[in-house]
Amino acid sequence: METEIAETITPITPTREDRRIGSSDRALYICLLAVLVAALAIVLVFSIGMGAVKIGVREVLGSLLNWHRSKGAESVILFDIRLPRVLASMLVGAALSVAGLLFQGLFRNPMADPYVIGSSGGAALGAGIGLFLLPHFSFLGFGATAVMAFAGSVGAIALVYWLARIGGRVPIVTLLLAGFAVSTMLSYSTYFLAILDDNFGLRTRVLASWLTGVIAVPRWTQLEVTAVMVGCGLIVCFPLARRLNTLALGEDYALHLGVSVEKTHLAIILTGSLMTAAAVSLGGVISFVGLIVPHMARLVLGPDHVRLLPVTAIAGSIFLALADTLARTILAPSEVPVGLLTAFIGGPFFLYLLRQTRREYTL
Amino acid sequence: MTPLLEFADVSFSYEQRSVLADINFVLEPGECAALIGPNGIGKTTLLRLATGALACSRGWISLAGRRLDTLQRAETARLIAFIPQRFDLPFDFTVEQIVQQGRTPHLGLFTGLKRQDLWAVEHAMDLANVTSLRKRIFNQLSGGERQRVKIALGLAQEPRLLLLDEPTQNLDLGRQLELLDLIKTLNDEGVTMLAAMHDLQLIQGTFSSVLLLEPNQKLRKGRPQELLQAAILEQAFDCPPRRHPKLIGEDRDLLEKIP
Repeated sequence: METEIAETITPITPTREDRRIGSSDRALYICLLAVLVAALAIVLVFSIGMGAVKIGVREVLGSLLNWHRSKGAESVILFDIRLPRVLASMLVGAALSVAGLLFQGLFRNPMADPYVIGSSGGAALGAGIGLFLLPHFSFLGFGATAVMAFAGSVGAIALVYWLARIGGRVPIVTLLLAGFAVSTMLSYSTYFLAILDDNFGLRTRVLASWLTGVIAVPRWTQLEVTAVMVGCGLIVCFPLARRLNTLALGEDYALHLGVSVEKTHLAIILTGSLMTAAAVSLGGVISFVGLIVPHMARLVLGPDHVRLLPVTAIAGSIFLALADTLARTILAPSEVPVGLLTAFIGGPFFLYLLRQTRREYTL
Repeated sequence: MTPLLEFADVSFSYEQRSVLADINFVLEPGECAALIGPNGIGKTTLLRLATGALACSRGWISLAGRRLDTLQRAETARLIAFIPQRFDLPFDFTVEQIVQQGRTPHLGLFTGLKRQDLWAVEHAMDLANVTSLRKRIFNQLSGGERQRVKIALGLAQEPRLLLLDEPTQNLDLGRQLELLDLIKTLNDEGVTMLAAMHDLQLIQGTFSSVLLLEPNQKLRKGRPQELLQAAILEQAFDCPPRRHPKLIGEDRDLLEKIP
């Protein structure tokens, strides 16, 4: 193949300038990543310290670096309450942001978000079914809630994808309408499930907090399972990111460039659902994170998905860790659901975006 | 010599509606062919069949001596590039980022752009004369610039055959001539071309052969001066005599005056 091509187009002699393509850009990008990682570490220490019992930076750092657990109250708070919760919020933030990035690429539409397109709603209903109907089920060490959340999310996106796609394109209007209808049906089905089960008992309260988006203090095993889900998802995302760039040119054109579009779409739906399910099983339905974070990242970096992916993951962690810290301290001793907070920030932002993109989508 | 592209008794129908029937033609390496015919006759469909994006209902297509349906998608994309009419982008990609996508069929899932890919991208941008637009946002370019960027994207695939769908549509006269020059240059560089053309006045002087699709007739292939005849075109395009614009006379002279 290569020789045939050489006949067609004579390769130009490489000049010194050619070798420097993008090199200065790359250095900047690596700096940005380093800054974000440093910020993530600072946010971790800061968030652990915040709360009803304030823990100083030195104590937090000392305990974390030596991994020294004692019977003291401060140590229990740090290792059994604060640290799992902060880690959970970071995982959820990364998962939702990356899922948002994937769905925006899939629908070729910057308004897609796990919440907007019903993926979170599907995951919540699935998790509810798992919690109520299949409490003893387990698959490869994952509980019923995680497995069913994944199935629910895949089902919801597949439905919205099928409903909203017109001739290979997903116009913003059909996407939002289909997503809205599917989300609404799913969240009321989840409520209905709760009413049927035990008339507002304990499990119903768990479910209600899921639907508003509260990051509970997870058990360490739960945290490990979710971390594995998010980790696997991220690994699959790297080759997918390259494909997302090609898909942005349009399904038809991606086909002409040798991409198997259907398989790629399926891979995106499955990976995005895995991420959403991981997020929902820890924190319930948290809206708009997947919209805000990729959008901000795109403003700084442009639309190249390969570069956006790591930045989106880390920035998502930072964003949700801060939001969750705010949620549990702003009205202390009572706690605001973090989903409510992100809705307050994200809702207006969503409307602003809708207005911004309006002219592009009326064509 | 093996023909680069061959259609043998190719038919295609959307659902029940037959679009193309019994198409036969051969495209030799180095040809510069214009595909003409009335609206809705299936020019775009024919081009999409050649890329394998659509599968023919009957007959077969071969590309560089191999049956198209036995080729992998990426293999096809290394031989043939398609430049669509419309190109809508939801995100603000720069020209360079778009042209880099042309390397997709040469890359594995896990490999990034290597030096040779970057050279191919540079060369493609250079040929299509878009190097100076490298950092510009595609969606903010003018029609003529966009057309050249799309061609650069196709060239980055390093194809042996370039298919263009109405490349001069919506361009002003100056940009049309610029584009024809580009087509000619690329053909001189050894790229075989097949372009669906709307504007018959632009064919003479650039294209070496013409493929004429007309209702209820076999596809005809010939040299431009053979097929661009008033009598043939009146019938093919169903326009009454003497109502059609002058085809060859004055306009060709105009084109030839411009260097």
